Amino acid sequence: MRLQLITLLGVKFDEDIYEMNISTADGEIGVFPGHEPLVTLAVPGVISVRHKKTDADDSMELFAISGGVVEISQTEIKVLVDEAESGSDIIESESKAALELAISMRDGAKDQVELEKAYQLIDRHQVRLKVAGLRRRNRP
Amino acid sequence: MPSTRALKSRIRSVGSTKQITKAMQMVAASKMRKTQDATKASTPYTLAASEILTYLASQGATRRHPMFVKREIKSRLIIFVAADKGLAGAYNSNVSKLYTKIRKQDAAAGIHTMTIGIGRRANQYVARLKDTDVVAAYDNIDDNPSGRVLHSILDLAVQKYTSGEVDSVDVVYTKFINGLRQEATTRRVLPAGFAETEVSQNIRTAEYEPDVDTVLDAVVYRLVGAQIFQALLDAKASEYSMRMIAMKNATDNANDLVDDLTLAMNKARQGAITQELAEISGGVEALKD
Repeated sequence: MRLQLITLLGVKFDEDIYEMNISTADGEIGVFPGHEPLVTLAVPGVISVRHKKTDADDSMELFAISGGVVEISQTEIKVLVDEAESGSDIIESESKAALELAISMRDGAKDQVELEKAYQLIDRHQVRLKVAGLRRRNRP
Repeated sequence: MPSTRALKSRIRSVGSTKQITKAMQMVAASKMRKTQDATKASTPYTLAASEILTYLASQGATRRHPMFVKREIKSRLIIFVAADKGLAGAYNSNVSKLYTKIRKQDAAAGIHTMTIGIGRRANQYVARLKDTDVVAAYDNIDDNPSGRVLHSILDLAVQKYTSGEVDSVDVVYTKFINGLRQEATTRRVLPAGFAETEVSQNIRTAEYEPDVDTVLDAVVYRLVGAQIFQALLDAKASEYSMRMIAMKNATDNANDLVDDLTLAMNKARQGAITQELAEISGGVEALKD
């Protein structure tokens, strides 16, 4: 089935795949060819993609996303994401530093708006770190 | 007639100005190409969101949604987009003129206007006007203003609208038509509107999880975001096109000026030589006697 990751900056990923796992508001779901048509919401988290049926778990491609709308049909998945980053683009040490910065921002927040921003950043960097961690574990 | 030395130094100074304007023209041209490509990149996103919305609207779900409710306009929020820098031809003044015109019309109709300023020139302009209600000001935003800046603008606009503080949200920006034409214009983003598209069988038969209203919420929010994003990108592409043309004109003018000055300098030099020759032959004649 076809998977498209669509962001405001263009189509980030557009390939035939066998399986996709994504975190939605109701928990994590796995999508295989022939899935029932479904429109649902993705929460900040990890998308993992298996390109071929025979691919092993450790060769799955990973993306960090910051939430979006998922449109699933029997032959096609469209994910409208706010931001998507491929696992290979994430540098673990940078994300760790950014997460610490976000946490200090939360502690020093002066008003509700700053606090909200800090929480958003914390979510985002935690997701990135999770992706980076998964990649490290999967590497031989 | 000015001396050759004075002319020479003027030629040199015009020449270095030309180098600068030429460099600025090249920079603007390359940025223009990049932003121009980016203006098309968000189309698939907008289309996919519009498709879901078209279906949900046909099911009547949008009728009761707070972002679709139309109210009589008593106050409105304007997102005013201009550049951070000058030297872009009429870019800043065109869009500022439109903004002022709308403000005047609103004032005559008794509508209260609030403003979000984007770009340093926009904020400077707004700050000079009387009785402005500035809600937020952004300077130096990226050429690809997704992520945090976009979300903070979007959140603010949505919050003002759904709380009933404003009855419409409009973006005043410069629409990019092509490399030669850009137009200052307004676009209404709230109450939400969208271009109806064809709805695939899949969207019609799909389940909506957790429920239709939650999905609708998320999709409308993203579509309004995409519309604001598109306006910001258009503004950037227009800015760079106009800056490129302004700088091209400046370079051409500098070339003409250098040509004129060189001609004047040559004339002055030739004049001096002729005069010296006349003096020498005059001296020779005087000695003969």
